[in-house]
Amino acid sequence: MIKHPIEPDAEPAVRLDQVRLTYEAKTGNQLDAVDATTLTVRAGEMTALVGPSGCGKTSLLRIIAGLTPPSDGDVTVFGQPPAVAQRHKRLGLVFQEPALLAWRSVADNIRLGLQLNPRETHSSTDIDELIEIVGLRGFERYRPSELSGGMQQRVALARALAIDPPLLLLDEPFAALDEITREQMRYELQRLWGISHDPSEPPRSAIFVTHSVPEAVAIADRVLVMSPRPGRIIADIPISTPRPRQPEHEHSDRFINDTAIVRAALRSPTTPAVPLDAA
Amino acid sequence: MISKPISDLDAYDAAEPRRPRLSRPDLRPTLTWILPPLVALVLLAVAVELWVRLGDVSIWLMPRPTSVIESFFVDFGRYFNEGLKTLAVSLGGLAIGTAAATLLAAGVAHSNILERAVLPIAIMVKVTPVVALIPLFIIWLGHGWNPKIAIAALITYFPVLINAIAGFRDIDPRMHDFFRSVNASTWEIFRHLRWPAAVPYLFASLKISVTLSLIGAVVAEFFLSGQGGLGAVIWIEQNSLRLEQVFASVLMLTIIGMTLSTAVVVAERLFSWRLDQPVTAS
Repeated sequence: MIKHPIEPDAEPAVRLDQVRLTYEAKTGNQLDAVDATTLTVRAGEMTALVGPSGCGKTSLLRIIAGLTPPSDGDVTVFGQPPAVAQRHKRLGLVFQEPALLAWRSVADNIRLGLQLNPRETHSSTDIDELIEIVGLRGFERYRPSELSGGMQQRVALARALAIDPPLLLLDEPFAALDEITREQMRYELQRLWGISHDPSEPPRSAIFVTHSVPEAVAIADRVLVMSPRPGRIIADIPISTPRPRQPEHEHSDRFINDTAIVRAALRSPTTPAVPLDAA
Repeated sequence: MISKPISDLDAYDAAEPRRPRLSRPDLRPTLTWILPPLVALVLLAVAVELWVRLGDVSIWLMPRPTSVIESFFVDFGRYFNEGLKTLAVSLGGLAIGTAAATLLAAGVAHSNILERAVLPIAIMVKVTPVVALIPLFIIWLGHGWNPKIAIAALITYFPVLINAIAGFRDIDPRMHDFFRSVNASTWEIFRHLRWPAAVPYLFASLKISVTLSLIGAVVAEFFLSGQGGLGAVIWIEQNSLRLEQVFASVLMLTIIGMTLSTAVVVAERLFSWRLDQPVTAS
């Protein structure tokens, strides 16, 4: 199992400074989606972002990915604007829906990221090995529609990992799956997170958006709790359980205690359970 | 590096690994589709035959189906050759109309300004009866094949344009986000996302356009009967009230139309998923 050393001194993977996002609603009103958010994600850190529906979690992720420009504030990914991270293919996106190309086989879907913008394909991830690791051996030539939801989502995960990105951005990746598959995918993600990583790049970080508290606590090194819209980060809760974590850990007192802290923070949005500057 | 693949999850997910397709096609459903209309057609012909014979209908009004069929086979070479000319005009127009419409649609799908500029003109042309333009086309393009092909092209391009625009835009927004997140170029997004997404739309419009192009070709041939084609045959024969020849020409047109429509359906089955053949890397 690969270790995920969090490097406090290294260049942070993501830094947001007073980021805001306001929409012009159809009624003409200004709608605040994200409110003055300041946040640092360290290199090698797995960060979970939890909050009620519509609190701006997805908007925040899109801002970091460079897909939505913020209305105000600064965003840097590895010290540079998100557009640079896009150009160097340092972002691995996974969505709630697998969003695969229906006309391509599993293997060719996984290969997609390598094929696009080919000059920037820095390290060549071995696709065969990746297929083996995500457990899709034997299904390489299948079309996505011939796979179950869990397998499709693993194709999406493999597609994101194929470009060996130092930052994974996961937007409720398991929300559409059934509970059994979903719980298994948590530990699979933990395993896949560190594979075949280019040593010249910073250790892989991840931001994981979810509204499942147990999922966040099981996966993350740190759980950020967002308030209802307009979204603000109201708690920053470190999860210090050592890795690799096993499913059995979810029955431990420590796990139950951590989920209780996160739930408390979600319930009382005005009073942070842990002061923001404590982390 | 490789940790073990999660076999329990495999068992859960891959409960029924199946490799479908490519079995020998079952002919029975095809027969149940073809047989009823065929029988109905024969019955209709018999009814007309009886009506013409027993009702003593003038052959100047309605030829006997048997004499139509006789003319069709006796003069088969003529109908076939003239049919080829009509087919050539129709296919030429279809090719030009489809290509132009697809190119235009690709531009419109990327630019709202282009859409606002182009679509009203496209609709103007569409609501104008194309037949009314034939005399103009003859003046501009002469008496050869060109005006006929132009008419066939003009009549086919609109359904392709509208469908292709819809197709190029019918992309999964998440998929588009993924392409953007790796800095894919506009061309890459078109080639690997928009174009394959539009293929079913293009085939749907082709099914409409292929018969429209035949209409365009025949109507243009009415005006330009000098170079032949089935439209010209119909025009000339009806002037001398030789209705067997007119009906035999129509029969040949029906056969051509059915062949073209079937060809589109077959092409769709063959090519629909193959247009995004990836460069097989690594």
